[in-house]
Amino acid sequence: MDALQSLFEGFAHALTPMNLLWVLVGCFLGTAVGVLPGLGSSMAVALLLPMTFALDPTGAFIMFAGVYFGGLFGDSTMAILMNTPGQASAIASTFEGHKMAKDGRAPQALATAAIGAFIGGFISCFLVVFVAPALADLSTSFGPAEFFALALFAFVATSSVVADSVLKGLMALVLGIGFSVIGIDSVSGTERFTFGVPELFDGVSLVTVTVGILALGEVFFIASRIRRQAKDNTVNSSGRPFLSRREVGEALPAWLRGTAIGLPFGVIPVGGADVPTFMAYGLERKLDSRRKEPQFGKGAIRGLAAPEAAGSATTGIAMGALLALGLPISATAAIMLAAFRQYGIQPGPLLFDRSPELVWGLLASFFVAMVVLLIINLPFAPLWAKLLRIPDPYLYGGIAVFCGLGIYATSASTFELLVLLGIAVISFVLKRYGVPLAPLMIGMVLGPLAESNLRDALLAAGGDASVLVSSPITIVLYIILIGALVYTGVGRVLARKRQRQVQRAAAPAESPIS
Amino acid sequence: MSAQTQTKTRTGHLGAGTWWQGRSGLVVPLIMGAFSTYLLVGILTMEVAEDADKPGPQFFPMLIMLVGYALTILLTIAYIRNPEPVDADAELPAEIEEDKAFSTPVTSAVAASRLSPHEEDEPAEDRRALAEARVADSKHRTHSDFVSLAWGAGGFAAFALILEFAGWIIAAALLFWCVARSMGSKKPLFDLTLALTFSSLVYIAFAVLLGLNLPSGILGGGF
Repeated sequence: MDALQSLFEGFAHALTPMNLLWVLVGCFLGTAVGVLPGLGSSMAVALLLPMTFALDPTGAFIMFAGVYFGGLFGDSTMAILMNTPGQASAIASTFEGHKMAKDGRAPQALATAAIGAFIGGFISCFLVVFVAPALADLSTSFGPAEFFALALFAFVATSSVVADSVLKGLMALVLGIGFSVIGIDSVSGTERFTFGVPELFDGVSLVTVTVGILALGEVFFIASRIRRQAKDNTVNSSGRPFLSRREVGEALPAWLRGTAIGLPFGVIPVGGADVPTFMAYGLERKLDSRRKEPQFGKGAIRGLAAPEAAGSATTGIAMGALLALGLPISATAAIMLAAFRQYGIQPGPLLFDRSPELVWGLLASFFVAMVVLLIINLPFAPLWAKLLRIPDPYLYGGIAVFCGLGIYATSASTFELLVLLGIAVISFVLKRYGVPLAPLMIGMVLGPLAESNLRDALLAAGGDASVLVSSPITIVLYIILIGALVYTGVGRVLARKRQRQVQRAAAPAESPIS
Repeated sequence: MSAQTQTKTRTGHLGAGTWWQGRSGLVVPLIMGAFSTYLLVGILTMEVAEDADKPGPQFFPMLIMLVGYALTILLTIAYIRNPEPVDADAELPAEIEEDKAFSTPVTSAVAASRLSPHEEDEPAEDRRALAEARVADSKHRTHSDFVSLAWGAGGFAAFALILEFAGWIIAAALLFWCVARSMGSKKPLFDLTLALTFSSLVYIAFAVLLGLNLPSGILGGGF
């Protein structure tokens, strides 16, 4: 019951009026950014990062927890009302959620999503409280070779297994790792790739890369398309924002199943919550097709409940993994890691011993954030949709100003602003050609971890590469990795074959035109 | 609807009909190649202390560089063999393209069902508007609106360069105004007042209340 006691101490820490205020502000701002079209929860965190620098570490992270979960809630609100998911993890919610909204059941859909996210998040946070210390203990038995294997696993998983094109995924990854080697080498103190520019001695800041890629690059991307695209229209969302007993009975098993699917993905580095949300949706769809009256396609409440719970569960556990292992699972977690580093705190096994009040305060504030979000989302979700009334030019103008503010506030240098611009332009080009950006973030974050551990391992073994596969943990990790690669490889080949067949079947019909 | 069949591939487009159509994506391997070369030059010119432990500071970047060059070659081959033209009909709405950019799972059968969830759900008039926008789009010379982009990126560059001299309020207002313009706003004067109000509010909130270090510039009299 050690964990429980620590948690209660954490609550005592989190529930001061000031910290409560920060949770509230964080939830509010996170939801606001998440609700905006095209902007997801990772962007919420990246944009609001500089704002937290004015606070003390505990207050800052408590506010972060609010921003992060708030962004997720906002994402799904938009996915349901507007069919515009802010992030890949909200796509699965659009299928049935938007259909429910079109059916005039928008408030119920929003309530289903909010309660689903609450259940998934609550269960996962509860697990984190017990699992995180154990994970931290486990990770003390990890040596350099194991950490390198873990980083490699994350690299390959994000760039190849979950990306549409392996080549493009790898390219983004290599670019990300490449950015991370710029600056003074931490092992030998050698200047690398700075070409004498003093601003580069500390390397390219992760915050700059994040804001450039997720925020400013996004603004440029939208600018390049905005005049060439038809407008979508909104769904009316007034009505009773609560669920009937029958609806709760219908959704409850889906919430729980979604949570169960989402939990394990919090520690598997495959780039966040998109995979589990799709898996949860797929499972509900399959189960539904066996029922007497299939609901899918007509706005099935279960098709919305499961992915929401899964996404939220993954997010919660991912937070735990970040705290206990120092391993960021998704881009958002990576930004949180950057924030920790800004305060000179290194997440990982030692964090629980060194700053217990921060860790437990943060964990406690997850629960507080969940409750606050449920309160501000259930009755007020339709109000959020009103944010969309801000005309696009002013919305994105404001976002661009905030990008500049964030970077200047953290670096106070014109050079960093120009780096930001360069990265934003590169990110626009990559986006235009469909290169996934999540691997870039993961590469940037885990690059230094991979490098220093690889070098440490080789150094200790006198340059003998076999040390990398010498322990049981590394062997298991590599076997899982190879298995995943083979599995997706076969899947891709089969999918391509099927696609060719479809094309061949369709080809005769189209051939007269050209 | 013969008009629709004609828009299958874009016609009035820059480079249409030439070898370059659908291959502008070659800029992606170009970026990769350029970055690998940056690493190569850096590795060659790096000054490493004699007694540095092996593997030294060049070791890991070297791996990255080699993979980078390999990817450059593979991506080039991929684009030459399979061009990716933007077909007016096949084009996805920007929101979906953006979701694609954020790593989409292909792991399950669900992948099939996620194809374009937008389109068929829309009411008829919306679908017509979308189709019209695409036909209009196919008449542009480039897929991306580079004029808008230049306003956005140029505005940001100007912001970065004048910030420390002109101060936050003026520079940020300029940035806001440029981005608003790049997004197609047609009320320059109204935008200007709004931009100045916004940047002043940000200044008050962050520099005055939260104590962030924003330059006051010429308005602050801090010459």
